[in-house]
Amino acid sequence: MRLLLAGLLGLMLVAGEADALPMFARQTGQNCVACHAGGQFPELTPYGRLFKMTGYTIGERTLPLSVMGVASYAKVRDTTKTDDPTVDFQKNNSGMFATGSLFLAGKVTDNIGAFIQVTYDNYAGQSVGPDGGLGKFQSHSQADNMDIRFADRFIDANRDLIVGLSVNNNPSVSDPWNSAAAWMQYVPNASPTSHQFVDGAFPGFGSGGNIAGANAYGYWNKTIYGELGLYGTANHAASFMSAGINNANRTALGGTNPYWRLAYTREWGAHNIMVGTSGMTAHVFDAGSDTSDLGNRGRFRNAGIDSQYQYLLDPHAVTAQVAYMRQTQDYSANTMAAAAPTYFLADGVTPVASPNPSDVINTFRAKLSYVYQAKYGGSIAFFNLTGTTNTLNQTSGFDSTGLITTADPNGTNITSTRVNGNLSGNPSTRGFNYEGFWTPVQYLRVGVQYTAYNKFNGASSNYDGFGRDAKDNNTIRFYIWAAY
Amino acid sequence: MTCARRTAALFAALLIAVAEAGCSNVERSRDLANTSVPGKVLALQICSNCHGVDGNSESPNFPNLAGQTEHYVIEQLSSFRKHSRIDPAGFEYMWGLSRHLTDEQIKALAAYYAGQKIRTPNRPTGRPELRDAGKAVFAGGVPEKNIPPCATCHGADGLGNEQFPRIAGQHADYLVKQLVVFQRTDERPEGAIMKVIAHDLTRDNIDSVASHLESMPVGK
Ligand code: HEC
Repeated sequence: MRLLLAGLLGLMLVAGEADALPMFARQTGQNCVACHAGGQFPELTPYGRLFKMTGYTIGERTLPLSVMGVASYAKVRDTTKTDDPTVDFQKNNSGMFATGSLFLAGKVTDNIGAFIQVTYDNYAGQSVGPDGGLGKFQSHSQADNMDIRFADRFIDANRDLIVGLSVNNNPSVSDPWNSAAAWMQYVPNASPTSHQFVDGAFPGFGSGGNIAGANAYGYWNKTIYGELGLYGTANHAASFMSAGINNANRTALGGTNPYWRLAYTREWGAHNIMVGTSGMTAHVFDAGSDTSDLGNRGRFRNAGIDSQYQYLLDPHAVTAQVAYMRQTQDYSANTMAAAAPTYFLADGVTPVASPNPSDVINTFRAKLSYVYQAKYGGSIAFFNLTGTTNTLNQTSGFDSTGLITTADPNGTNITSTRVNGNLSGNPSTRGFNYEGFWTPVQYLRVGVQYTAYNKFNGASSNYDGFGRDAKDNNTIRFYIWAAY
Repeated sequence: MTCARRTAALFAALLIAVAEAGCSNVERSRDLANTSVPGKVLALQICSNCHGVDGNSESPNFPNLAGQTEHYVIEQLSSFRKHSRIDPAGFEYMWGLSRHLTDEQIKALAAYYAGQKIRTPNRPTGRPELRDAGKAVFAGGVPEKNIPPCATCHGADGLGNEQFPRIAGQHADYLVKQLVVFQRTDERPEGAIMKVIAHDLTRDNIDSVASHLESMPVGK
């Protein structure tokens, strides 16, 4: 894979500017900036959104293949407050080839087009070493975003109606706006734990991805966009949408799981805005559980609002995004039956409160970005996740002697977790994300991101019970992101 | 065959059937390699995304094409197609889209836009002093630098003619960018005349004449 990437990089440098483009660009013959705001993939311009809504069918059929790779380096501010830095901060302070994706995408017929991404993760897992410790990293490939469409457009002087069907595997991946949950985070992150604090909190759907959905959508007079979808488990005929994930790890959904999206859009001069709302109800079985037992089934209800404003006038591209998502999670009956308070208050005597059967999480994120000449760009984002406190989510706490321990000598208490631990049972996480990037050629982007936390897992200081503060998780990350 | 496989095979067969049936839908096609798609269909299905359904574009990033002279649209599309117009905005957006257009499609596109009604801003845009200064350049040129009035070629109404393009009612930002391209580069070789005209224009001349043109009443 590394060799492949090196080869491709070489190829890209040799190929002339105008022909060295990923598949969609080859299909329309246009440069990335036509569809991507300021060239910053994957954020779409008004034209890029119409390209997507009309089913990726503009242009001509070409070789429908592209590859994308991300090389990454991250450094977490404090790597001392841990039991084992090799576990909590894998690959910290070292460069690596993080992920690679293969895209099969483009125009199929006048009405059908596809966007299929398979992602290779160089650090998907870590084997057990000969001494019982951690061994080598193991790579793995699996289905990533998929969106196969049928679309038609009825347009004349008096009306413009785009209608379509999308078969996809991730709620909101079919959405043309980049404040949608699936698209707001756009630099692919890496799996090693050195990268776990990159980016901060994002609004998302509780169901997660790699599920199978069929969505119908319509866009009327470039003003109102509506979409309705139904999702189920990506198995049987739809198992390609969860390819590379074994039965135990595949998200299992029960019942009907509706997704909806409504948006209002307007364009005036070089400005355009979208104000929208979306939501989903998903009945999700506990990971790896028996799906014939409804006691294993929990429920997520998501409802959100989001908005995106763009000012696009060469050489300037300004984007402002705001997204807010409320998620109510009802835990499965079996989860609740098994849940018993295992920690004590600091007195070592009083057990913590009983777990609640449901939780609410509110995630807010706002981002402002600017790109000059489709070359030099930067962004600043604020994220704030708040939610209910629940001892079910507590992963650190006091034992019966009033101490916080990682190993329990008596075997009566569950142990506490450092770094990822949560002493409060509250998920609150808040901070800023700053980014600067440079796109020397249109299919290559080099960037640096800094994420600063002032709250993590419910507290600013000592959130894990071992003295780790939110700011200890501040992370700087450098990346090289290329596509061909 | 397992049940899952059979469903998958059926699904695939169905997909192919739908695909074949919908393969060629020339009345609503977005296929740029199918030479049988009428120019007007391309105008509505593809060009409208940036230039507007009726050739009046919302974003100043893209020129208005409504009421543009046929001759000029034909010349520009041909020039994109043969890669002689090489200004960045031109090649980034237009080379690819024009690469397989036939002469017939180009003619039909030009006829379509020539027949569309020009929409100008309801109220004049920009500062009045700027517009007035621009009006002087448009109608009288810059005599001390021997720059002829724009009107001599583009017409007193700025609407162009057999030889020269329409520039009245065009987005000021677009006009400025083109004048700068003519002035500083050879990226629009067919516009050699304009290079001579634009050569001695000051930035103020350019901004003012563009402002005047954007708000110029087109009287149609
Ligand atoms: C001698 C004739 C002549 C004069 C005078 C003239 N132009 Fe032009 N202009 C042309 C021609 C010919 C073209 C088409 C160039 C091409 O084919 O690329 C053109 C093109 C343009 C364009 C590009 C239009 C487009 O849609 O891309 C602009 C803008 C323009 N002229 C502005 C002006 C202004 C402003 C003036 C006055 C300062 C002016 N012209 C004076 C002949 C003239």
